[in-house]
Amino acid sequence: MDLWSYIPQLLFSGLTIGAIYALVALGFVTISRASQIINFAQGEFVMLGGVITYFLLNGAKLPYPLAALIAILIVMLIGFAMHLSILYPLRKASVLILIMATLGASIFLSSTSGLVFGTLPKTLPPFSGGEPLRIGKISFPSQSLWVLLSTFILLIFLYLLSHRTLLGKAMEASSTDPLGADLLGISRNLMVFLAFGVSAGVGAFGGILITPVFFTSYSSGALLGLKGFIAAVLGGWGKNTGAILGGFVLGIVESLSLAFIPSGYKDGVAFVILLFILYFRPKGILGSPFIDSRRW
Amino acid sequence: MKRMVSFISIFTLILMAWVSPAYVAEKSPYKIGVNLEFTGPWAEVTKLLKIAMMLEVEKINKEGGVDGHPLELIFEDNGFDVGRVAANITKFTQDKEILAVIGPFEDNLQGASRAIAEREKITNLIICPSNPMMRNLKQKWAFNIAQSDRIVSQKLVDLSLARKYKKVLVFHGAWPLAQSLAQLYKRLGEEKGIKVIVSGETHQPTDIDMTPQLIKIKPTLEKENVDAFYACTAGPPGPIVCKNLRNLGVKIPILGTHGFGFGFILALGGEAMEGVEFGAGKPVVPDQLDENDPIRPVILDFDKRMKERYGMGIDQFSGHAHDAVTLVYDALKRCGGKVTRETFRDALEKTKDLKACHGIYNYSPTDHDGLSKKDMVFVRIEGGKFKRIKFPGLE
Amino acid sequence: MIVWENMSSQTAKAPQTRFRKRDLFYLMPLWLISLIAPDPYLYHKKEFKKKELFYLAAICFAPLIWSDSHFHHLMVLAGIYAILALGLSLFMGYAGQISLGHAAFFGIGAYTTAILTTRYAVPTFLAFWASALSAALIAHLIGRPILKLKGYFLALATLGFGEIFLVIVRESTSLTGGVIGIFGIPWFSVMGFSFDTYLKQYYLAWGMVTGLFIFSKNLVRSKVGRALLAVGASEDAASSVGINVSKTKLEIFDLGAAFAGWAGSLFACIMSTASPEAFSLGFTILIVMMVILGGMGNLYGPIAGAILLTWLMDILSKYQEYSLPVYSVILILLLIFFPDGVGTRLNVRIIYLIGYWAKKKKRDKGKL
Repeated sequence: MDLWSYIPQLLFSGLTIGAIYALVALGFVTISRASQIINFAQGEFVMLGGVITYFLLNGAKLPYPLAALIAILIVMLIGFAMHLSILYPLRKASVLILIMATLGASIFLSSTSGLVFGTLPKTLPPFSGGEPLRIGKISFPSQSLWVLLSTFILLIFLYLLSHRTLLGKAMEASSTDPLGADLLGISRNLMVFLAFGVSAGVGAFGGILITPVFFTSYSSGALLGLKGFIAAVLGGWGKNTGAILGGFVLGIVESLSLAFIPSGYKDGVAFVILLFILYFRPKGILGSPFIDSRRW
Repeated sequence: MKRMVSFISIFTLILMAWVSPAYVAEKSPYKIGVNLEFTGPWAEVTKLLKIAMMLEVEKINKEGGVDGHPLELIFEDNGFDVGRVAANITKFTQDKEILAVIGPFEDNLQGASRAIAEREKITNLIICPSNPMMRNLKQKWAFNIAQSDRIVSQKLVDLSLARKYKKVLVFHGAWPLAQSLAQLYKRLGEEKGIKVIVSGETHQPTDIDMTPQLIKIKPTLEKENVDAFYACTAGPPGPIVCKNLRNLGVKIPILGTHGFGFGFILALGGEAMEGVEFGAGKPVVPDQLDENDPIRPVILDFDKRMKERYGMGIDQFSGHAHDAVTLVYDALKRCGGKVTRETFRDALEKTKDLKACHGIYNYSPTDHDGLSKKDMVFVRIEGGKFKRIKFPGLE
Repeated sequence: MIVWENMSSQTAKAPQTRFRKRDLFYLMPLWLISLIAPDPYLYHKKEFKKKELFYLAAICFAPLIWSDSHFHHLMVLAGIYAILALGLSLFMGYAGQISLGHAAFFGIGAYTTAILTTRYAVPTFLAFWASALSAALIAHLIGRPILKLKGYFLALATLGFGEIFLVIVRESTSLTGGVIGIFGIPWFSVMGFSFDTYLKQYYLAWGMVTGLFIFSKNLVRSKVGRALLAVGASEDAASSVGINVSKTKLEIFDLGAAFAGWAGSLFACIMSTASPEAFSLGFTILIVMMVILGGMGNLYGPIAGAILLTWLMDILSKYQEYSLPVYSVILILLLIFFPDGVGTRLNVRIIYLIGYWAKKKKRDKGKL
């Protein structure tokens, strides 16, 4: 049957997009572990990573690796700015106000990006050549391997950051027990500030990885952010490993569902999964207890 | 007391300023409303439309306008939102001085605009092509500027015959224009002996990744051994489809629609666009037209003016903008002094042999599309540029 | 003892009235009118403030003073959004929930009207009620499981439903026309009188706002309203007092959806089109902003917020490309500086200033 001929292909493209969802979910988890805020603008960081790299590559004619690095730094700065200007003043506000503020930030970032960099979709040259590779009947762009490899490396890097460096340990402490960390002199606001930078950087990294495969336009951030959040909830809220797992699971399920439903409904699948998770297992697959029950 | 007097006088002044009529110019300008998507996915393109229109209006006004009446365009943004399209055109119709509305640029917005124009009895010049759903409504007040789907499909069938394709698979968008292009291509192609398979998969105009649909189509491509792939779409999805297809390792030639004839398509698609062929409007290849082409002077003149003023040459969009203004100007001239919305519409409908950038316009009560098959040329993308190709006997 | 006997004999002799079906027929219009009539026993003289009369007069006479059709058009839109925001504020401001998918009900209302009037030639007046009914029905169906969630999760779940509806509407081209929407919806008309100019639509929209406002005010002052406030304050405490929390939340969710359905229906008739943009997240953000910025604890808040944001959007639309960035910056600033609504801080400032002026005048007079 026709299905079997393209399910392996769908599986593979699901892995690729799953890696990106995983990166976005990592960004969400980083911020919300530190501050119990859900940053709806996370997807915009991904978009900005890709778009700014495109601009630096084609507009300022910088070499590719340098453009990517500078773009990540710029997006981290944007993350820092976002914390300072929006979330620090609202640190004591209610859940609703915080949601609206981050949504407002998301609109700002996406529309400004459309203004400054143009509204047409952008793409970047793949890291290693444009010819797709073939395994049997599946052909996929070589970029997909880069995406998977880089996600793996990033996970190791973040693990080392949070468990081997003092700063990372301080961030972990601040998220696990805010009061205790405060007593030890760890400034909670500083930790949140840094968390924003880290998650912005992670997002931008993901954006640079994915733009050679899928086009990025000023409006692709919003949906990506939502799906990344769904991945984080799916995998188990509050854990890095949960975010990664959730990302891949979401990517694969979404991709495989294409075999059974018309392609236009693909975006709806993620939200149906969200509703299932929220009803039946809000803790997610690798569920972890809520850190601060007040906020939830 | 003093305070109250001053307050009342200020209030009255503000009220007067609000309701006072605008200053009256030498001769009152003829106003045309422009309802385009200045924000949204097509923002860069509509910016180009705006400056091209303003360039042409300037030229007309410098030459004296229409019997001394200057031409004036009023721009409103509809943000790619059907509700705002409706709001804008309703606002234009409420302003009694506006004679016509140069309508939306995108196909999925034209339905709303046409319905309101028909009800409010104002001429609506739409920049995108018409489609059977719209034509069936037989609206008197809506005119289309771009090449209709009939012409495009005919041209593409000619191209397929010239290249001797026997089997073609069509992947089209979910909006009426794309669907009608697919259906017409199938009907006309099968009349001429080409087997056409129309895929059940579709995509939206704002999609940026069509890999899922193409993955589902790929087995059919291989099983049926098709000769060519017709990407029946316009705008950013065009190059994205090509790129996705090449990423999946599919190497068969790709056919496109006239919506492929813009510079950014090349930038977006990159290498994947090499070898794509389609039927395009003549402004796409201004320097490769025949010597004796009657509209060549018009194109080259506009091309020169665009390069002088904005540093960029003519292309399909600026051609449309130029044609819109030219059509309006021509119709106004033929109104013979009494310019109302009705006389404007009647004059526009009587347009005959008007040489504009995209071709020679002929409107009639049964044909609100204006162009014919002769106004298109075959184009192939080679080396990152548009190259005109000719087939003997099929022009 | 005598008292006891009297009472018992009175109850024993109480006539047994039979409830007949035709009583319903007589009672129904009375019940409907009672929904919007001010309750004389609850309105003390002090309660009926002069400012309410002033607002009513302002609404009646404003379009006649400023007869610019653009102003009318804006106020019609503001009226429709006010209905929407009013429904949402009952759900968010009084019952304390979060709904990020309310635009879906607006869209359901708009599309119901669109489909009924264009394909089945249903008169717009009937379609108007059908829209509210369909929106409330769908809210009822999805409300029960959703409303068990709280905080971020509730927001996410409502967001999820909003997006799902958007996808469904965009994809089912046969039912909803897909991306191009449905157009050609006739003007709203009641018994031959059709609201075709902005002026008439203005009175239609604001008439509805006034009616629904009085209804909401009655609701809030009633037992149901107090139950809402209790649920909003603390669900556990409310259920301990005997309030059926989930039923209350579901009821008010349905009501908010019905309001949105009405608003959507009016919107469809005025724009004569219905399109998927009505479901978009950006629109939901706009409505929630109206409720927040107007002030969440009272009923004037959403109306004021609707007017404020409609005007803001109109002013910003002149800046075409810059409208969205400026809009988002303004929103964020307003959230930071006026989280309780624009009116509260401004009110305080203005009252303070007026008080200062009055004192100053007194002092000057005294000196003289």
